[in-house]
Amino acid sequence: MEADAQLVQRCLRGDGPAWEELVRRHARRVYSLCYRFTNNSSEAEDLSQEVFLRIYKTLASYRTAYGGFPTWLTSVTRNLLVDHYRRSRRDRMTDALEDVLPVVEEKHSPVRTPDKAAMARELSAQVQSALSRLSPELREAVILRDLQGLEYVEIQQVLSVPEGTVKSRINRGRIELARILQDMGVGPS
Amino acid sequence: MSWSCVQVEERLSDYLDNALTEAERLEFRAHVDSCAHCAPLLAQVSHITESLRGLELEPAPPMLVSRILDQTIAPRKAKRQWFSWIPIIWNPRFATGAVTVLATLLIIFHAAGVKPSQLTAADFNPVNIIHSADRHAHLAFARSVKFVNDLRVVYEIQSRLQPGANPPNQQAPSETPSQQQPKPPRQSQRSFGTDRYSVAASFFATALDRSNP
Repeated sequence: MEADAQLVQRCLRGDGPAWEELVRRHARRVYSLCYRFTNNSSEAEDLSQEVFLRIYKTLASYRTAYGGFPTWLTSVTRNLLVDHYRRSRRDRMTDALEDVLPVVEEKHSPVRTPDKAAMARELSAQVQSALSRLSPELREAVILRDLQGLEYVEIQQVLSVPEGTVKSRINRGRIELARILQDMGVGPS
Repeated sequence: MSWSCVQVEERLSDYLDNALTEAERLEFRAHVDSCAHCAPLLAQVSHITESLRGLELEPAPPMLVSRILDQTIAPRKAKRQWFSWIPIIWNPRFATGAVTVLATLLIIFHAAGVKPSQLTAADFNPVNIIHSADRHAHLAFARSVKFVNDLRVVYEIQSRLQPGANPPNQQAPSETPSQQQPKPPRQSQRSFGTDRYSVAASFFATALDRSNP
């Protein structure tokens, strides 16, 4: 498989198929990050398009010195997510109470299916619900580390904060998330 | 010196990410193994972290890539793949249109007397189609001419048979007021029928003369 850096160089020479390959390769990861952060599929789709539009316009400014292409892509995504969060903060605060209600229903839901895929979907929904109750700083740190699988150094580059801050946020985010999920009835059996 | 609960909580992720030194690891374990608060916390965080790593990325919407490419490169022609027409079939508008077209074709075939089971490859030859269409057009024209002529004959017969349509001087001169008394119905019908047949015969002859000049 051709490396991202080579695809970027081809894109800069006006190679359309190279850009298409880059988009296909990373669209799911960008969408997933947006979805986990916003908890809204429609917003996540719009933001994903915005991310790639910005990447396309600023592709010439990408340097390998910034880190790998995925790290740069994640950094752009994260910055847009923060902008989006700031724009919709008021709405988000209004929705916070509504977010709690379905959680209560899920906790008492007696439906349990032995199907692994169904269990994974249920866990994914519970995690999504718990993530939406974390503060944005902790949420993005946990998403980048445990859902996107980034290394500490990469997260440091994406968030542009010192390593100590990254570690602290990830640790606090994990503990808070674990407590929220414990309250929802999710835990080691 | 053993670690406190606060210290354990602060270094919990370092423990899970194997970022502790061996000495720190031993201190960490020593506290957790003897603390009723930290042991379940470690178990829960460890479980959640593992669960998060096991979750797959959310699948992107099917049209996301196309929309991104349309916004960046420019609207592109859709790739023609053998399965690309499948979503079109499920479109209700397409299905309704297809059913309507099919029903229309069936009606036309039925009216034209075409039986799909009797069709052969020769029937699809354009020459044969044109000849057949020409023949059917001539037949249809001939039938319509005959129909109009028949209508004309029937109309003329009806106009002759209507009471009052005949001129008074065509009545039989031997009729007297005494003969205008009511006759038995059977006899009256017989004379009326005789008149009708004679008039019809004369007009059929006229019509034949007109159609065969």
